[in-house]
Amino acid sequence: MKRIRAVVVKEFFHIIRDPKSLLIILVLPLLMIYIFGSALSFDVKKIETVVIDYASSKLSKDLVKVFANNPYYVLIPLDTAGGKGSAVARAEEMLRRGSIKQYLIIPGDFSVNLRKDRPTEVAAIIDGSDSNIANVVYQYNEMVFLDFLSRKQNLEEFLKISTKMYFNPEVKSSTFIIPGLVAVIMIMVSALLTSLSVAREKESGSIALLFISPLRSHEIIVGKTAPYVVVALLEGAIIMLVARFGFGIPIRGNLLILLLFSLVYIVSGLSLGITISTVASTQKLAMLATLLITLLPSILLSGFIFPLDSLDTVLRSFSYLVPATYFLMIIRGVVLKGAALRHFIPEGLILLGFSLLLINVASIKFSRKRQASR
Amino acid sequence: MRILYLLRKELIEIFRQREMLFIIFIAPVLQTIILGYVVTTDIRNVPVQIVNLSKSIDAYRIINRVESSSLFNVKKITRNPEDYVEVFKRGMVSSIIILRDGYDGERKVHQYPEIQILMDGIDSNVALIAAGYFNGITKKYIIDDVSRRGMPLPLESCALIRFNPNLKSINYMGPGIVALLLTIISMFLTSIGLVREKEQQTMDTLLISRLTPIEIYIGKALPMALLGLIEMGIGIAVVILVFGIPLRGNLLYLLIAAVIFLFAILSYALLISTFSSSQQQALFFGWFSMVTFLLLSGLFTPVENIPPAFRWLADINPLRYLIQIIREIFLKGNGIAYFGRELAIMGIITVLVLSFSLLNFKRFISK
Repeated sequence: MKRIRAVVVKEFFHIIRDPKSLLIILVLPLLMIYIFGSALSFDVKKIETVVIDYASSKLSKDLVKVFANNPYYVLIPLDTAGGKGSAVARAEEMLRRGSIKQYLIIPGDFSVNLRKDRPTEVAAIIDGSDSNIANVVYQYNEMVFLDFLSRKQNLEEFLKISTKMYFNPEVKSSTFIIPGLVAVIMIMVSALLTSLSVAREKESGSIALLFISPLRSHEIIVGKTAPYVVVALLEGAIIMLVARFGFGIPIRGNLLILLLFSLVYIVSGLSLGITISTVASTQKLAMLATLLITLLPSILLSGFIFPLDSLDTVLRSFSYLVPATYFLMIIRGVVLKGAALRHFIPEGLILLGFSLLLINVASIKFSRKRQASR
Repeated sequence: MRILYLLRKELIEIFRQREMLFIIFIAPVLQTIILGYVVTTDIRNVPVQIVNLSKSIDAYRIINRVESSSLFNVKKITRNPEDYVEVFKRGMVSSIIILRDGYDGERKVHQYPEIQILMDGIDSNVALIAAGYFNGITKKYIIDDVSRRGMPLPLESCALIRFNPNLKSINYMGPGIVALLLTIISMFLTSIGLVREKEQQTMDTLLISRLTPIEIYIGKALPMALLGLIEMGIGIAVVILVFGIPLRGNLLYLLIAAVIFLFAILSYALLISTFSSSQQQALFFGWFSMVTFLLLSGLFTPVENIPPAFRWLADINPLRYLIQIIREIFLKGNGIAYFGRELAIMGIITVLVLSFSLLNFKRFISK
């Protein structure tokens, strides 16, 4: 224990000696959560739509009115600038330029057919180049059409559907994104923090001093990791405060439970960093490897943006390798749903397992290099 | 021609380490393939629990329709009410559908079950789509049922999706991921390039050589641009061949856009390098700008949702323009007239940032 403390003290000096870097490490994530917390939103609020109404009757105007009154739609008149060509060709051009998201065509026989209960179709031509938006547009359209229909046929009295959104009654995407951001930023910062610690000593040659010290390899690795727990935890606390007071994310669960899980999560990130640092021969390599391992997988594979349930089983297995996946479930559960410790015991254990495994790999690698240097 | 020597030195330095070869060329290809399969904004298999308190045949049929829909993954059908909040906390399902018989026995009309949808609203995107979709299923059912009883409802909508008919997200995410990886690697390697020489005190060696500062600067940037281009080529080939993404536009335009983008990214990286005083600082600044470029690129969330206060961050983001151009070329098959403006903006960004970093470089070496 005493020997580990010696390494911890030495590493602390490394951190304190470079206050500018420490400041950068603490401030940048703060900026990140502030910027991304306000800038990232999935909400499709404005569906720019051109309606080409060939029927131009009372019924078809009713339908157009339903769209016009819907707050999600913005009806845009046809561009007259490129004056020539049919209405459809002009709408198509607007779609191609990206100034509208869709155009609707109401056929000429719309009202006649509808009044006589003959089948009729309304076409919606949607820009699919962003498939997420296209999907939402399609869903909204369907809802509007069904609304129009059921109102026209007085179906409302048959239909009794009530929807209740738990934990996020206003259905804001920030409630989803901000806790996720906390998780993603925390893992990246903690892995980056330790990723240099061993590689730097290798590059400067001071690693030889560690090699010949009487300390055992795992003591050195643990000692080099421990001081960063404080830095990373401080970091986590700061961004959590921003989430709470800057963005009004309610913390419904127990703070102590959150702290406990954060600790486990941070340690897994730090162990990931130190393992990379031991394996890599230069700082450059260590940094690049850390970035590639943490950046995209934590953003794309963790459920931060894309729901994990939508993945195939094979692909989903990749997400189980990403620590952020587990912490995302935990932080969303504890912070937003007020979940208790017992709900996330398996996830916590897996994170702990990650850390133990990685610390061991790092120690073994380190002692191999040590032996090789003799 | 002296630059060529520096260029050679740089390339030797990069490839001296075997692992670097792997990280620069193989890792991005692997990541593109894995992530390309993963990034799907198509929402499927929303885990749902159905609580059926109704005895009617309608409830049974509606449940059937939910079960056969690919959007929902029915985990459990129960017949008793329970503590639903606890169910959500456990996190096994993210929506609960409760069907019960209406209490109003007076009316003569056919009674459909009353339906209550409880959603775990945390993932607002999924919650909205799933709730809407379920609404649609039920309404469709009732409409079908009513028309079977002789009250036909004839309006149908037919949706036509342009440019990406099957709404495959890989079609627009794939090329985007290549751009992301390119950003990460070239930006990172370049941003630590100058500061590394400084940290190891080899910058002085370069400075007392016959190379002018401008030549040193170019010698640092050029090899990275070369690497980046090769990598871009590999990445795009992977995307087209592995994922079968249609390339409807002109490959030449794509190349032009890629080159301009690469120079824009490199000039940012050089700027970071001249600002930092250690590799570690360069790493953190580089990481910060990468994440900013990446998340505000419009790849994940629409750019128009960025509030005005941060819009400028998206405006100076070259990745955002590249992603837009990529989508136009790949999916819409647009010509240069549609994205000439974006190309020009990227060019202006490059020139501005490059000259700024050059000024700063002079200060950097005189320190």
